[in-house]
Amino acid sequence: MEKKKTYVEDIDRGIYDVKNEVRYSYKSEKGLTAKIVEEISKTKNEPQWMTDFRLKSLEIYNKKPIPTWGADLSELDIENIVTYIKPDTEMKHSWEDVPEDIKKTFDLLGIPQAERASLAGVGAQYDSEVVYHNMREDLAKQGVIYTDMETAIKDYEEIVKDYFMKLVPPNDHKFAALHGAVWSGGSFVYVPEGVNVDIPLQSYFRLNAPGAGQFEHTLIIVEKGANLHFIEGCSAPKHSVINLHAGCVELFVKEDARLRYSTIENWSRNMYNLNTKRAVVDRNGIIEWVSGSFGSRVSMLYPMSILRGEGAKSEFTGITFASKGQYLDTGTKVVHAAPYTTSSVNSKSISKGGGHAFYRGLLRVAPNAHNCKSTVSCESLMLDNESRSDTLPIIELNNDNIDIGHEAKIGRISDEAIFYLMSRGISEEEAKAMIVRGFVEPISKELPLEYAVEMNNLIKLELEGAIG
Amino acid sequence: MYNLEMINTIKNYPDWVKEYRKEKLKNFNEASIPSWKRINIGEITLPEYRDYYKSFIKPTKKQEGVYIEETIKGLNDFNNFNKLNNLNNLNKYLSVEESYGVSDKFVAFGEALFNSGFLIKIDRKTKAEEIIKMKYTLDEANPLVIDHNIIVGEEDSEVTVVIDYSSDDGGNSQVFHNGITKVFAKDGAKINIIKIQRLNNKAINLDSNITFIGRDAQVNWVLIDIGGEINVVNYISNLEGVESQSNLKSIYLGDGESKQDLSYTMNHKGMRSLSKIEARGALKDNAKKVFRGNLDFKKGSRRSKGDEAEYVLLLDKNVRSHSIPVLFSHEDDVEGNHAASAGQIDANQLFYLMSRGLKEKEAKKLIVEASFSHILDDIPDLELREVVDAEIHRRLVYV
Repeated sequence: MEKKKTYVEDIDRGIYDVKNEVRYSYKSEKGLTAKIVEEISKTKNEPQWMTDFRLKSLEIYNKKPIPTWGADLSELDIENIVTYIKPDTEMKHSWEDVPEDIKKTFDLLGIPQAERASLAGVGAQYDSEVVYHNMREDLAKQGVIYTDMETAIKDYEEIVKDYFMKLVPPNDHKFAALHGAVWSGGSFVYVPEGVNVDIPLQSYFRLNAPGAGQFEHTLIIVEKGANLHFIEGCSAPKHSVINLHAGCVELFVKEDARLRYSTIENWSRNMYNLNTKRAVVDRNGIIEWVSGSFGSRVSMLYPMSILRGEGAKSEFTGITFASKGQYLDTGTKVVHAAPYTTSSVNSKSISKGGGHAFYRGLLRVAPNAHNCKSTVSCESLMLDNESRSDTLPIIELNNDNIDIGHEAKIGRISDEAIFYLMSRGISEEEAKAMIVRGFVEPISKELPLEYAVEMNNLIKLELEGAIG
Repeated sequence: MYNLEMINTIKNYPDWVKEYRKEKLKNFNEASIPSWKRINIGEITLPEYRDYYKSFIKPTKKQEGVYIEETIKGLNDFNNFNKLNNLNNLNKYLSVEESYGVSDKFVAFGEALFNSGFLIKIDRKTKAEEIIKMKYTLDEANPLVIDHNIIVGEEDSEVTVVIDYSSDDGGNSQVFHNGITKVFAKDGAKINIIKIQRLNNKAINLDSNITFIGRDAQVNWVLIDIGGEINVVNYISNLEGVESQSNLKSIYLGDGESKQDLSYTMNHKGMRSLSKIEARGALKDNAKKVFRGNLDFKKGSRRSKGDEAEYVLLLDKNVRSHSIPVLFSHEDDVEGNHAASAGQIDANQLFYLMSRGLKEKEAKKLIVEASFSHILDDIPDLELREVVDAEIHRRLVYV
């Protein structure tokens, strides 16, 4: 007997699919040559060391092979991806000054409302350049720096030089090298010692031009005893050509500091999202990742925590929703490089309509890192049998004095659970919807502010299809 | 370099067997030696070819429908063997199409140059009354075992096979075991295999296994790996039939400089198939190991269930323990679980035992044995169980 299947609609991405006419003041040629890289650097008026850094990265990029262990990247042709598009506007500090169409897009995405409502500061990036940046005044008075990377290189050159791509060096992998060569935009946050930023800072990235790449660089330094919550959101309208996102996030969490980094990625379904995120945590510091991956055609995203100080701690909470035509290869890496470090990973994935969700994780404990503790939990829910769900965690233990637990589950919504709910008078569709909501609840409650609302909306849209 | 003339018995073979060996030798020469980089073995030095002269099949009472023969004898007298044993298509069991085993190189090595091994065939609706026992003993005069084993259980048959690899000369000689075991459980058959590897500390053990399980059939493995300097084993179970089953229980003990790569795969193809992997290990001294457990729910394996779990006790600071428990799923209506845990012996347990007058090593040994015991209980041969107990004891306490 053929069993009745829940049908879950694709997300109506609504406002995310709003396209604007492409207007730009500078656009690099397609493809990638030393000349283009030099031009990007020149247009940005960068110091010589950065130009050299870009050229060195380009050299590495040309030497590195395309990785083949994960997603199929054969359709990704870098020759056809425009690396640098500067929107036709200078950076604005007042929302009113931002050009009308860009403003409208961000308005639709809820960015300035978010600022008014509850955020300490907001940066918004449109294509390759940051168009809007603002922060609450009292934070600036305490020495908190929140600005775009271009300004940071000019105004805080010494700090940037010490940290820029030190954690994710260009020779890490091919797309890190590409990023090093053509990076543009992104945010720079510096929280001085002991400062507690009590309300989140937020950046929003939007890719509007077709066939373009977004390569924003986010560099966050949280000094000793300081505290920050940073939120990153990404989207792009759907074009028929392939877009590439190869951003880079470097997080430095110093002694006793705490950083929470939340992301909701809702790239359109023509996006190759090959993002590199990494945090290094000093003594008793804490890094918390909250990560939601909904969009893109292909994602390969594994935020990494390097716990290098005694007592450092990392927490990863992630959800991946792979729908029709999507291959989302996500996970997290944790390296316990010092004694008494602890980590926990809680990952959930849902696949439907032929989507493929792949959890790939690494947990490594160094020989000297005694008294470490780690728990990893991965759960996958499949909503139909066209979809795929895979789990591949690697656990490398290099000393004996540790306590490691790992568990993973793959399955569908159990008939017993549905039967139980239905026997209580709930319709089958609603019962299934309840179970899916319950499945993602531990993650959605970790999400901040309007992002929780955004994710709830995304999931609600999916489930409304199920309820019909 | 190897050639087939090295094999003394080669001249007696029918032509197709010669051809078979020749082709496999070609495959062997073409394949490159794997490095198993996770445990960093480096290149394995291949041994000089030697025939294996000892007898290894323990005699059992003759039973109607139960055929046991050395692979080499069976092939030498192929036609006669076929007639005797109703095995009219032995050739189809000699090679399987899918790639399997520790590496293509060493599977081809075994198929081309096997110097021992057995054929077991159980007729339809026959239950082998006695446990069939194999005992390979490696020593200076017989340092090489390349066994090619085939077990065929016809419909609704049942058999239990115990295979024991040991080296009995005080652990001084460089011994090498490269084995291939193929198991075919037809609909309703039940095959239990207990494999014990307790070779010396210089031994290299490479073992490739593949299983095909039909409707309602089951293949159960109990695997004890407590010896060898290099131990690479690979088990693939294809759960092809509806309600096919496979249980795999494994114990491993790593000590000294030993390096182990243990790989267990369950391919669920049939509906409502059921699999379970349970591995329990202990690592001491500078031992390295990687555990790979794969549960693969293929298209069509609806309502199947797979569980895998690994528990490892880490007894010394310098051990290296890698685990890669993988779940692949192409079907929604399946249930896959894996769990892994690793850690030291609980300090309170240890303290309690030591407060009762036990030395630390003795106390640790007791705790490790307690973790192993329910798997060791599945060894159906009491004498062998005692030998294994003693060997585990020796390695935990005295070495």
